Amino acid sequence: MLRFAVRRLLLLVPILLGLSILVFVWIRALPGGPAQALLGERATPETVAQIERQYGLDEPVHVQYWKYIQRTAEFDLGTSVTSRRPVKDELAERFPATIELSLAAMIFSVVFGIPLGFIAAKRYGTWLDHTSLVASLIGISIPIFFLAILLKYVFAVKLGLLPTVGRASVLIDFSHPTKFYVLDAILAGNLEALWDVLKHLILPAVALGSIPLAIIARITRAAVLDVQNEDYVRVARAKGLAPREVDTRHILRNALLPIMTIIGLQTGLLLSGAVLTETVFAWPGMGTWLVGAIRARDFPVLQGGILFVALVFVLVNLVVDLAYALVNPRIRVS
Amino acid sequence: MHVSCVDSAFAAREGGHISVAQVEAREVQLEAPSGLWNEAWRRLRRNPAAIVGFVLVSIFVVTAVFAPLVAPYGPLEQGLEGGRLDFASPSWSHPFGLDPLGRDLFSRVVYGARYSLLIGVVSVAIGLSIGMVIGAVAGYLGRWFDSVLMRLMDIMLAIPGLLLAIGIVAALGPGLIQIMAAVGATQIPIFARLLRGSILATRETDYVLAARAVGVKGRRVLASHILPNSLSPVIVQGTLALATAIIDVAGLGFLGLGPQDPSTPEWGTMLTDTTRYLQTAPFLALIPGAAIVVSVLGFNLIGDGLREALDPKFRGRA
Repeated sequence: MLRFAVRRLLLLVPILLGLSILVFVWIRALPGGPAQALLGERATPETVAQIERQYGLDEPVHVQYWKYIQRTAEFDLGTSVTSRRPVKDELAERFPATIELSLAAMIFSVVFGIPLGFIAAKRYGTWLDHTSLVASLIGISIPIFFLAILLKYVFAVKLGLLPTVGRASVLIDFSHPTKFYVLDAILAGNLEALWDVLKHLILPAVALGSIPLAIIARITRAAVLDVQNEDYVRVARAKGLAPREVDTRHILRNALLPIMTIIGLQTGLLLSGAVLTETVFAWPGMGTWLVGAIRARDFPVLQGGILFVALVFVLVNLVVDLAYALVNPRIRVS
Repeated sequence: MHVSCVDSAFAAREGGHISVAQVEAREVQLEAPSGLWNEAWRRLRRNPAAIVGFVLVSIFVVTAVFAPLVAPYGPLEQGLEGGRLDFASPSWSHPFGLDPLGRDLFSRVVYGARYSLLIGVVSVAIGLSIGMVIGAVAGYLGRWFDSVLMRLMDIMLAIPGLLLAIGIVAALGPGLIQIMAAVGATQIPIFARLLRGSILATRETDYVLAARAVGVKGRRVLASHILPNSLSPVIVQGTLALATAIIDVAGLGFLGLGPQDPSTPEWGTMLTDTTRYLQTAPFLALIPGAAIVVSVLGFNLIGDGLREALDPKFRGRA
């Protein structure tokens, strides 16, 4: 197990280097060059040259790359063109927002998805099962931003139960040491703030987590159906084990394997969904930040942001792989 | 069995005379094995979900193609009736209401179908053509080509579709052509893998080996033997890819990365600024969104139905 983990960790280094090269090349692969795109209509030969000097774009490519690597290693990701703030500071604010949202969405989808799938499998063939299949089919046909708009309309506008935008009400003040608002509210011991933050979190988390929920429920159903017919389940039942015990000790435990793989694969879905959901709820996370940067052609932000997102993605995949290897011993020998 | 019942009925009608030859002839007639396509079509026809999907997709395609005939107004026409150049709720003259610039929403949604269909089809066409070439090269040439190309495809598949598309648009800049290219690019690895798998599977079959033994050239083997057998998964995947493409394009439009001219009646773009109107004019957001859901659902239903209908595991049954 340890060898497996070390091997995977060592692979990180070339992956990171490859990523940095990709991002570096990608920024410069723009039609007209980054300076041109940045200036847009104001691009004259003089201004373009000036921008190029300012950002060091007129130096040879390998020099640029080396400087880029050096600066990144020192965590200097440049300054945002739109906000004039260091990219690293904005990242430190935006990233926890997205993580909080994604975590909440993941918890929602797992907590509700697995039981739903399990029940659907147990009641195979009944109206409940068929309804859940239809629901998941509709679920994958709804664009996530439309679902977010629908939820917002029903719960915030029509019913007025929940707030519509942002992470917290501006009226409630509390300090944010960790930038994870839920954590901060708890640390500050401010219950009113905690409730407010949670209320703001519910709708976006539900919107973001609904498609993973549909997928997890469907996979759970399939996995439980498969496992139910295995011999060891039949033996357990024949032995006289209580149905509850059969369910937990044998069925769920073995069905958990494919479910875990799927949960791990959801990170990608969550990331892409986060971009859309954040826009609907004006959630100040990485999604809204990066999309705004694309429209404003803010390259320092794009460069730093995309590298960071790619890094997180790779790390999460690594953790998921390790966790899966932990649970399924067969993987470790391959 | 069927044959005997029918035959006894026939025999009874014709006065009881029936020869063995006639029986056998009728047997062959009644039990003639149908081709994959006939069987698939029959199974598809009996699948209620697939029929619903077919209806939805037909409505979508007809609306898109015949948009000028279906829509009562042009997509850019601003109604100056009553002196108002503002949004309005659904009414008899405007079944979906008016958007904030006084344009008929029904007409805009109808014309929007054109954009969704166009962008969807073009993106899938890009993905399919390039993907199939890559898959064919990788599958047929094997070894080094295979490893390198498939690694590349794996990397592309590892990144979630929308993010990859956003990344490409970030490099190319926002715009209609750009989102077509971006979404098309995200479809490439799927088709590449599909075709490579098909080729690897059929490469070692007897009929291909026989063809090559006889001396049929590689290219002809590919074209005449391997490709036709790969057709059905490609069709299924193409339909499902169209569904994904429509969603991704709408997503990019919603983020403001699509057609930059705000008057373009693209469904996703129509949803961009409507969140602030939810209180006063919810239909502005709900209706284009519903249009997206209905079209995508149609393609998903047909795709699922096709997948079941073409599944070789069911051949020779019902």
